[in-house]
Amino acid sequence: MTRADLADLAPLAPLAILAVTPLVVTVAISVRRHHALALGITLAGLAAAVAAVPAALAAAPATAGALVTVDALSLSFTLLIALGTAVVALMSRPYLARSERRPEEYYVLLGIAATGAAALVSTEHLAGVILAVETLSVALFGLIAYPRDRAGAIEAGLKYLIMTGAASAVLVFGAALLYADIGGLTFDDIAARASGGFSVVGLAGLALVIAGLAFKLALAPFHMWAPDVYQGAPAPVSALIATVSEGAVAALAFRMLSATGALTEPALAAIVAGLAVVSMAAGNLLALLQTRVKRLLAYSSVAHFGYLLVAVMAAGPLGVEALLFYVAAYFVMTYLAFGVVTALSGRAGDADALDHFKGLCWRRPVLGIALVLSSLSLLGVPVTAGFIAKLYVLAAGASEARWGLVVAIALTTAISAFYYLRLVVVSLSRPAEDPRGDDRSLEAAALLTVLVALLIALGVAPGILEPLATRAADALF
Amino acid sequence: MPSLLALVVALPFAGFLLLSLGGARLPARAVGIIGVSSVAISAVLAVAVFVALAASGPAEVRFVDTVWTWIDVGPFAPAVAFSLDGLSAVMMLVVTLVGLLIHVYAAAYMRSDASYRRFFAYMNLFVGFMLVLVLADNLLLLYLGWEGVGLASYLLIGFWYQRPENGYAARKAFIVTRIGDTALAIGLFLLFWELGTVDIAQVITRADQLLVEGSAVANLSAALILAGAAGKSAQVPLHVWLPDAMAGPTPVSALIHAATMVTAGVYLIARLHPIFEAAPAVLVAVAIVGAVTLLLAALAALGQRDVKRVLAYSTISQLGYMVVALGAGAYAAAIAHLVTHAFFKALLFLSAGVVIASLRGEHDLWRMGGLRRVLHLPFWSFGIGAASLAAVPVVTAGFYSKELILWNVWVAEPGGAWLAAVLLAGTFLTALYAFRAFFLAFFGKLRDAPSPPPRGGLIAAPLVILAVLAIVGGLFETSAYFGGIELLTLTLGDSLPAAAHGVGADALALMIGASGLSLLGIAAAYLAYGPRVLPRRAGGYLPAAGRAAEAGFGFDAAYERIVVGPFRRLARGLRDEPVDLVYEAVARLLRAAHGVLAFTQRGRVRVYLAVLLLGSLAVLAYSVMA
Repeated sequence: MTRADLADLAPLAPLAILAVTPLVVTVAISVRRHHALALGITLAGLAAAVAAVPAALAAAPATAGALVTVDALSLSFTLLIALGTAVVALMSRPYLARSERRPEEYYVLLGIAATGAAALVSTEHLAGVILAVETLSVALFGLIAYPRDRAGAIEAGLKYLIMTGAASAVLVFGAALLYADIGGLTFDDIAARASGGFSVVGLAGLALVIAGLAFKLALAPFHMWAPDVYQGAPAPVSALIATVSEGAVAALAFRMLSATGALTEPALAAIVAGLAVVSMAAGNLLALLQTRVKRLLAYSSVAHFGYLLVAVMAAGPLGVEALLFYVAAYFVMTYLAFGVVTALSGRAGDADALDHFKGLCWRRPVLGIALVLSSLSLLGVPVTAGFIAKLYVLAAGASEARWGLVVAIALTTAISAFYYLRLVVVSLSRPAEDPRGDDRSLEAAALLTVLVALLIALGVAPGILEPLATRAADALF
Repeated sequence: MPSLLALVVALPFAGFLLLSLGGARLPARAVGIIGVSSVAISAVLAVAVFVALAASGPAEVRFVDTVWTWIDVGPFAPAVAFSLDGLSAVMMLVVTLVGLLIHVYAAAYMRSDASYRRFFAYMNLFVGFMLVLVLADNLLLLYLGWEGVGLASYLLIGFWYQRPENGYAARKAFIVTRIGDTALAIGLFLLFWELGTVDIAQVITRADQLLVEGSAVANLSAALILAGAAGKSAQVPLHVWLPDAMAGPTPVSALIHAATMVTAGVYLIARLHPIFEAAPAVLVAVAIVGAVTLLLAALAALGQRDVKRVLAYSTISQLGYMVVALGAGAYAAAIAHLVTHAFFKALLFLSAGVVIASLRGEHDLWRMGGLRRVLHLPFWSFGIGAASLAAVPVVTAGFYSKELILWNVWVAEPGGAWLAAVLLAGTFLTALYAFRAFFLAFFGKLRDAPSPPPRGGLIAAPLVILAVLAIVGGLFETSAYFGGIELLTLTLGDSLPAAAHGVGADALALMIGASGLSLLGIAAAYLAYGPRVLPRRAGGYLPAAGRAAEAGFGFDAAYERIVVGPFRRLARGLRDEPVDLVYEAVARLLRAAHGVLAFTQRGRVRVYLAVLLLGSLAVLAYSVMA
């Protein structure tokens, strides 16, 4: 191979590294089972992928066959995916060490999920989308049901399997209809038809593709799996679904909707806007009186992806910037919330009831502050990343004059104050008995501290993501 | 020199900051030193700036010291700037010098109080805001000072907040003056609207040029400013807060509620007199308000048992004198009385403070008596203060300033003669109530042995200095019969029209008549409350009228019935938050929606699948149909 060939490969390197990592872990643990080794290889692979991003950015865009397209947008999200997976891996180590006898394969599945997510953001072809989504989903079945001795986890895995199977059927059926109408599956093919107006079959196909993706994003009314799966899955896996999986789908949805010109079709735009509003309303209303924290966070994610859809609809540079910032901020606050849940979860099962969190600020200050700040950020209180994120989304909605969506964000955010602030109140109330068996390692505290710093940094100096967002926007528009 | 002006203002604020941030560990001695020296240095600088202004001669009529421009939008560019002209110089000197004497006295008087530090922090804060008020270069800054002194007054009236009635008195003072403040704010907005500037010097020149005499705008803004002044300077009908304000420590009553803050209204009207001259009808109203206040408060003072309330009503009445003078266009005469009043009323309060302290907090005049024999210094100082208040001819400061007012009001048109008659009646009443208090407290039989009074140089020096000022402190502006001194006219320069001086038969007759009435009042007080009568008339005279006077002629009761009561009932009606019913309905609706939605999430995969399918069908149907 010549030097020039290697340079051609640079844009693909992050994705390739992510794909190779789980293979290496598989080989390594087949030689010797060792928890720290599996974690170490995974982290090294993720770090290598992150390290490869700058060079890839310099050489982007590039394609590999019809299915893989790498540009600044996909690389930005690959970066977020790799970093997010690393956080989940770090969060999982003490959790698995407490509750699992054989934790090593978990990291293989984690690596596959990351690969699927990264592939999903790096494609402009519906076949690529289907392949990537399946890769991601298959890894998630395993992860959700990983604690084999917990009935709840098995049930959650099974439910996800059934539901995602049905959703994939919808997605594939939509793709088939599109192919029947257009004779191609690339986004460009679809865009070429969009300018001339879709036929009924094409419209129906696109609508079903959107419905399939809405399932992956847990948008109402396709959200019903989310609370059961979030509750049954191990807490770090719930975090992975909320961030890496749904973040990747959101990025893909953005790319697909803007590249195919689907939103120029009023009916499709109305469908997407409807999904956004219904998700905001249903997510927040369902979370309102929820006392199970993992379920509450599931509903919260339904609402948040409803907000995010407003950025997705605002194609153009502001939309990219809003999307990237929102996803990054949502990653940080979700990791904080689930990080606290993970740290409080013992051998007996995950911390879920509100009682577990009572007086957290007094007995476990680091966890308490992390939970309070992440709640405030999810609510969108200034100084936290969540505020800037919401501001971006509102700006994106306002710039497109989608006033109905802007008003919906404002109203449903007001509803959400009730349950987010209840988390804050619970954390600050008088301490309850200190449950034993939870994680008191420095590791968890250190991870949460870094995330808190990041949350505030994004809230105070949101400009730090600006260069990346500009590159991503330039690549698309 | 002008640059020192900002420092004059800044020092008391610095004292406030030091004291409030200094922490509870600050020793009492350090608190006293900081609290007094901040005002002392400010006073020294004030004198220096004043001398510089006087020396600069007529060429420079005012100093301006701009610290920074606060906002700059078009014509609205208020700066944090202080300016010194004749009028503000007089005010500045009164505030800093009388303020200094009272601070010195308070350093000893308040020493044993647990909140010594808080006391001086508030006092310094007050002096700072008072200086902002009198030195402000624009109306916005003036208003800041105006509100600031109101805040300091509130904090100091409620200084002993542990007793609920003191908190009530503080709230009452704040709310009642607030009514005036609101009117003032609207009046100032109106002026800005009409004249397009907030700079005081420009407001004054433009008012001369732009305000049409008797126009609605002129009348309205003057009336609103009058309302503001009436609130701050305790004029009828907004005077009710001042007697209750006596709940504060006595040095506070002397400084804020006698010598300085309550004169802010007088200062304001004098400062903005061109606006009132464009509104002759309001000027008449000013005179009437002053005259009514003067008489009512003097009568009310006659009925009080509490020595501090006598002095409070006396202050209201004397402010009425000044306001009458303003209404008659005799601004300089009003300022002259403002100065002498600061001297003798501060003296009276500080003397009363010693009496009260030595009687372990007894305020009731009828339980005093015979103190002449044990409290020598307060006896003399109170006596001198009362004499000056009663305007005893020739030998007191009060005589000269009142004479000036009397003559200027007499020559004023319209209705000067009527107003002069009110002033003469007031002279008699003033002498009567002043010496009633004096005789009741210091003559007659000594009741129980007082505890040792607060003594020492820090107490005595301010009393002696103020006593001297209460005697000779009026000799800055006298008529031809007393040397024709015109120091005040000289100082005020162009800032106010000069006061007239009476010569001739009219003037002599007025002067002799007023003197006679003053002496007559003292004689009447001696006959009614003197040592010979006292044991037999232990309850006073005319019990019904006395009760009415003691109650301040029912203003409080009327306000209670007309304003406070209905407002309370309204508040009670709203206590259960009927407005909240709407929001509770929203909350209930949201809960119900949650219940309905949660019903779908019961973990049944077949339900989930059905919804997934229905959702897809709905999307499909919509995309195809639309």
